[in-house]
Amino acid sequence: MVFSILLIRLTHRVPSSGLWRTPVLLPQCSQRQQGFLTARRIGVDDPVRLRRAESTRRVLSLELNHDRDVDRIHGNGVNSLDIEVIEGRYMLSGGADGVVVIYDLENNNKKPQYTCKAVGTVGRSSRHVHKFSVETVQWYPHDTGMFISSSFDKTMKVWDTETLKPAEVFHFEGNVYCHHMSPVARKHTLIAVGTKDPKVQLCDLKSGSRIHVLQGHRGEVLSVRWSPRYEHILATASADSRVRVWDVRRASGSLFTLDQHNGDKSKAATEAVNTAHNGRVNGLCFTADGLFLLTAGTDDRMRLWNSATGENTLVNYGKVTNSSRTCLRLAVSRGCSPDFVFVPCGSSVAMYSLHSGELVTMLRGHYNNVDCCEFHPDYQELYSGGKDCNILAWVPVLRQPDVEEEGPAAGRAGGQQAAVNPAYADAWSSDED
Amino acid sequence: MNRKRTLISDAFKVKKRRLAENTFDKASCGEADPGGPLDIKSSLEYLMTLFPRKVFNDSLPRIAMKHQLYSLHSAKTLVDRQLNLLREQGEVVIFQLGFDADAFGLVFTSDYKEKTLAGIAGTECQDTVEKFMNKVLPSCTDLSFNKEKMLKEFLFTDSEITQLVKCGVLTVRDAGSWWLSVPNAGKFTKYFIQGRKAVLNMVKKAKYGEVLKNELELRRTTSHVKFPMKYHIYDIMGAELVESIPTTSGTMLRYVDT
Repeated sequence: MVFSILLIRLTHRVPSSGLWRTPVLLPQCSQRQQGFLTARRIGVDDPVRLRRAESTRRVLSLELNHDRDVDRIHGNGVNSLDIEVIEGRYMLSGGADGVVVIYDLENNNKKPQYTCKAVGTVGRSSRHVHKFSVETVQWYPHDTGMFISSSFDKTMKVWDTETLKPAEVFHFEGNVYCHHMSPVARKHTLIAVGTKDPKVQLCDLKSGSRIHVLQGHRGEVLSVRWSPRYEHILATASADSRVRVWDVRRASGSLFTLDQHNGDKSKAATEAVNTAHNGRVNGLCFTADGLFLLTAGTDDRMRLWNSATGENTLVNYGKVTNSSRTCLRLAVSRGCSPDFVFVPCGSSVAMYSLHSGELVTMLRGHYNNVDCCEFHPDYQELYSGGKDCNILAWVPVLRQPDVEEEGPAAGRAGGQQAAVNPAYADAWSSDED
Repeated sequence: MNRKRTLISDAFKVKKRRLAENTFDKASCGEADPGGPLDIKSSLEYLMTLFPRKVFNDSLPRIAMKHQLYSLHSAKTLVDRQLNLLREQGEVVIFQLGFDADAFGLVFTSDYKEKTLAGIAGTECQDTVEKFMNKVLPSCTDLSFNKEKMLKEFLFTDSEITQLVKCGVLTVRDAGSWWLSVPNAGKFTKYFIQGRKAVLNMVKKAKYGEVLKNELELRRTTSHVKFPMKYHIYDIMGAELVESIPTTSGTMLRYVDT
């Protein structure tokens, strides 16, 4: 069953026309993939293995695709992107001009060239638009009827997608840097909000009130993230160089603070003891299984932590340039082995291998600083947005068709396949020979 | 059968041309063969050969920096792990240099003992330092010590601790805690920073702010720079003060504006 679903998803992507790419024979590749396929068919391998192998291959070949584009609506930088989890079809983006846009990512026009159209915008002309920059946007985790946006105008608005009007507005005393709603929560509908205030606020969606405050940080809370594994575990990162992990059911403070030296007090200067970074911590991301937590700080370092014990796994990513004054949005791939982490670094997106710390590649394409990136787990695509107001889609390079398959066979392949480019059509050989 | 263990198995047909560019410049010794096993000890020994003893009149043991190893081997995490292993085995001593939170100096334990004892031979601190070397170094591989530990675990008295600080084996970190240090390390740090600045300026002032590594190695250094050029090049590459870009003519170092 998994295999057939995988096939559908793979063939849904129409191959790009070969105008700028001559078909190259890759016998080695297809042989190895044949190996995976046969093993799966005869039952030697688990179905997941083929899926993982193919996902990893696709993530390793991410690049800008001429055929894929995202509508350019924002007039100022794009601050945050979110793809809904139910279908993976709609994407939200929040911009520095206060505008929130919804895009449809699906390609229904049977042609390779596709621009992801904006299906809804909360523009400057709307009465309810945010007054200042929108810092974080997130879909309601259970359906696309609602989304939440928070902004520097000290409010967090819960919007109805149909009418694009806010159903609820939460007001705060300071700039709201980030918010997050738990993707797996069934027992609560809490939104964790990080503001300029060192206290982390928890707002309840059902009652519309701010019911809980988490005290412990000493500086502004730059990033908050719920664990994708346990619905009550929350991680918060602050400008006081500390990252705290909380269980919201507990009345007394945080569960633990992440310590970069793992308790080895001898390694650091005395002020730096018990800190996660040597500067402000502004990026937080859990891996898809919730077992590991990634943090990024303004000391140009990224660290991987065991989320259960708070132990620093000491994976060395090297210098990860981080000059963001607000939340830095990382993305982790899902369903690959090994997993990859995408970090916006200056005007490109750096791709590191999660557990070994090696830099795999730098995705270059933006004209200005990249602010956010979001990984689409089903299609292994990456969307990144930045100060140049563009949202770029990084798509896995499509496997080339084998040379022998060109010609009449390709034409008969089916309606989904694009017609063979006339330049490659066999117009000179005669059937009589 | 391919015995090389690669990060990602060949089935995934990684775009090898991007990764293969790194192998253009592999001629010099000491630079790791990406396919072979990670040998930190031999890289460390290579770095130690670059250390100029004459400048310090042979009073300092040979010091290498931890991030210099990162420029020789690409897998930083594995380098860290192997180094920790060497430290626990007691072959290498790691100490904080002080000018940067991330700058750690490495010395071979035998070298360290030899030079320190030679330096304080005949002075009043000799017994204390010997006691420190024999008691503390083998058992405790920490970078810093606090008062409690020194008094209770190792049974040093206050005056002995003062003597150790006077000799330079311990440096003050905070009220009641000390970093492990190498005597006369101050001179090393001074010349090192001087040399690093000079080499970085060379890269910065070059046209477009970039220099080919091979070309930089051949340049003559001014009298301010006491260390050999290669020592500094590995340092700035490992500390990521310059960006290493693989090109068809070898590695190119581009100044990073931070």
